Amino acid sequence: MALRGYANRVARIDLTAGTVTYEEINEEDARLYIGARGLGVKYLLDNGATVDPDSPENMLAFMNGPLTGSEATMSGRLAVVTKSPLTGTVSDSHMGGWSAARLRWAGFDALLFTGRAASPVYAYVEDGTVELRPADDVWGKGVHDTVPHFQSRYGDDLSVMAIGQAGENGVRFASIINEHDRAAGRGGMGAVAGGKNLKAVVVKANDSTMPKVADRDAWRPVHQRALKTILDSEVTAPKAGGLSLYGTNVLMNPVNALGGIGTRNSQTTQFDGAEKISGETVREELLVGDPTCHACPVACKIEVEVKDGPYAGLHMESLEYEPAWSLGANCDVDDPRVLAKLIDQCNDYGMDAIEIGNAISMYMEATQNEYVTGAGLVWGDTSAMVEVVDQIAMREGLGDLLAEGPARAAEQIGHPELAMTVKGQAVAAYDPRAIKGEAIGYATSNRGACHLRGYTPASELLGIPVKTDPLEWKGKGELLKIFQDLHSFSDSLDLCKFSAFAEGAEEYAAQYQVIVGEPMTADGVMLVGERIYNLERYFNNLNGFDGKDDTLPQRYLEEPGTGPAAGSVVELDEMKAEYYAARGWDDGVVPEAKLRELQIIK
Amino acid sequence: MIEAKLYATLRAIAGSKTVTLERQPDTVGAVLEELSDRFPDLRAGLLDEDGAVRPFVAVMVDGRDIRHLDGLNTAIEDGVTLDIFPPVAGGCW
Repeated sequence: MALRGYANRVARIDLTAGTVTYEEINEEDARLYIGARGLGVKYLLDNGATVDPDSPENMLAFMNGPLTGSEATMSGRLAVVTKSPLTGTVSDSHMGGWSAARLRWAGFDALLFTGRAASPVYAYVEDGTVELRPADDVWGKGVHDTVPHFQSRYGDDLSVMAIGQAGENGVRFASIINEHDRAAGRGGMGAVAGGKNLKAVVVKANDSTMPKVADRDAWRPVHQRALKTILDSEVTAPKAGGLSLYGTNVLMNPVNALGGIGTRNSQTTQFDGAEKISGETVREELLVGDPTCHACPVACKIEVEVKDGPYAGLHMESLEYEPAWSLGANCDVDDPRVLAKLIDQCNDYGMDAIEIGNAISMYMEATQNEYVTGAGLVWGDTSAMVEVVDQIAMREGLGDLLAEGPARAAEQIGHPELAMTVKGQAVAAYDPRAIKGEAIGYATSNRGACHLRGYTPASELLGIPVKTDPLEWKGKGELLKIFQDLHSFSDSLDLCKFSAFAEGAEEYAAQYQVIVGEPMTADGVMLVGERIYNLERYFNNLNGFDGKDDTLPQRYLEEPGTGPAAGSVVELDEMKAEYYAARGWDDGVVPEAKLRELQIIK
Repeated sequence: MIEAKLYATLRAIAGSKTVTLERQPDTVGAVLEELSDRFPDLRAGLLDEDGAVRPFVAVMVDGRDIRHLDGLNTAIEDGVTLDIFPPVAGGCW
């Protein structure tokens, strides 16, 4: 292959047959879709867009990009790509840590799993080979026992990407976790792995095989420029910027201040207890460490230790913004020590903490409205929450209902309006009535409600690239398209999304150009990003998704926000019209001419 | 009496989560002027050399960023909620 940067080695693992075959990357696909997210979706499409996500035929792809595991700053990301059992859409979920880098150092761009093993297995990856080995002795164990099991067996230089009991039991929002607590969280990646009887991917490699950029003279200034933007940024500067000092949860207070914290299942949009669960409070009261990922000087992870209360002695990472919201404000919980416990449970069982918080809050509102029999779940009852998290992972009692996710569970109890979901996936920690970019972002996300497809809060809160009014809807459809396309490219390199707080298309293009050895411009970055976003949309269109699915829970359209967002509802129809015009789509469907223009079809 | 709420790194500079203003400001500009006088290190964090609010600093009056109000001329009245944030972002995970 003429392209540099890639390992140019892909493993196809047929779990039914127990066979592993190896192939090179298709060069044309790599040019069009880069790697990680983009190339992963192409593999999924070629595997068959309409396969049943719960069937063995569904593909589970562990995808690196051409920058993964390299010297590039923030290049420690890996994308897991599959057809989601939660949404029925194509979905990708990324995780940091060192698994991505080690997979590259072990000589792979991608591991493509299909089929279903007859009994539990794990994939052992080392030095360009993949072997399937029995996993019976770790089946039934949580992530926090599974990882040490493999570490004691295989020693140092090891990364483990594993599912916990939730994935084994088919919890629809089960995650894949690596390095104990770093999650490919969203979309039910762990449920697909569990359905395949795939307990873990274990990778042994070290940086002695880390790829070196061929053109050192060209690389040095490009790398230094990208690194300098991270080091100099007031947001990302190590040990100085808010992200480094307080972690992602630095956003709890500002988002709450503008009335964007959905509270009690988004019945209101400002939480009185926000300060108590904020990044500032966690740093002051619980912080004991700040771990990082491969090639990242920012170190945004938050390692905490609970010093008192019923969970005293708990040592965990990472108390992030999203679960602090979903299990905190969203469920009327204002104790960060309890949040640490709940998040730790989610990491051990392997579950998406955003989805589970929304499932619990949905059921709490159902209880409030007397839609359920028995005691139900009461707002802020933390003991009951700890118990129900156990039940969900094991699919016992009430947990069996909530393990289906908030959308299906709300449907089953006869009140679908209580589910704060889009295409079956739950919303995140930005109430769309207060932050309108997230309204159109949630509605049109290709993987169900998601704040990461196009992170407009960078503009609406911070002012990157320009400050826009969070309450204004006009222009947000166009703004969202820019963010979606930019992130589609960086997710395909695969660089951490936080790089976008400092770097931009110019830096991405320059790094790609030197590492891959192909010309790339900022405009080219946006074009490739647009192609990838349309590829995903095409995949979903083939499954029957169209404009009717690009919608929001009625609550956001009819019930105004509170506090600074008082009186605000989402102008969904107007925003969709603007967004579709920017995309060139017909009611949520990519026209054939657009597919040809973007070279998605010939 | 006006109280300014400070966040993230600003708290360490002021030594407090909140600062009760001694003067009676009529605009946001007057608030920032008093804070800068009392805590000189805050000035560098909040204002540029021309006295304008630095990029990415968020000053909110009743939850509205002054960049969408009247900037430093935004009026201040008793009972107002005044939140001041240094450049912060995150929240993706």
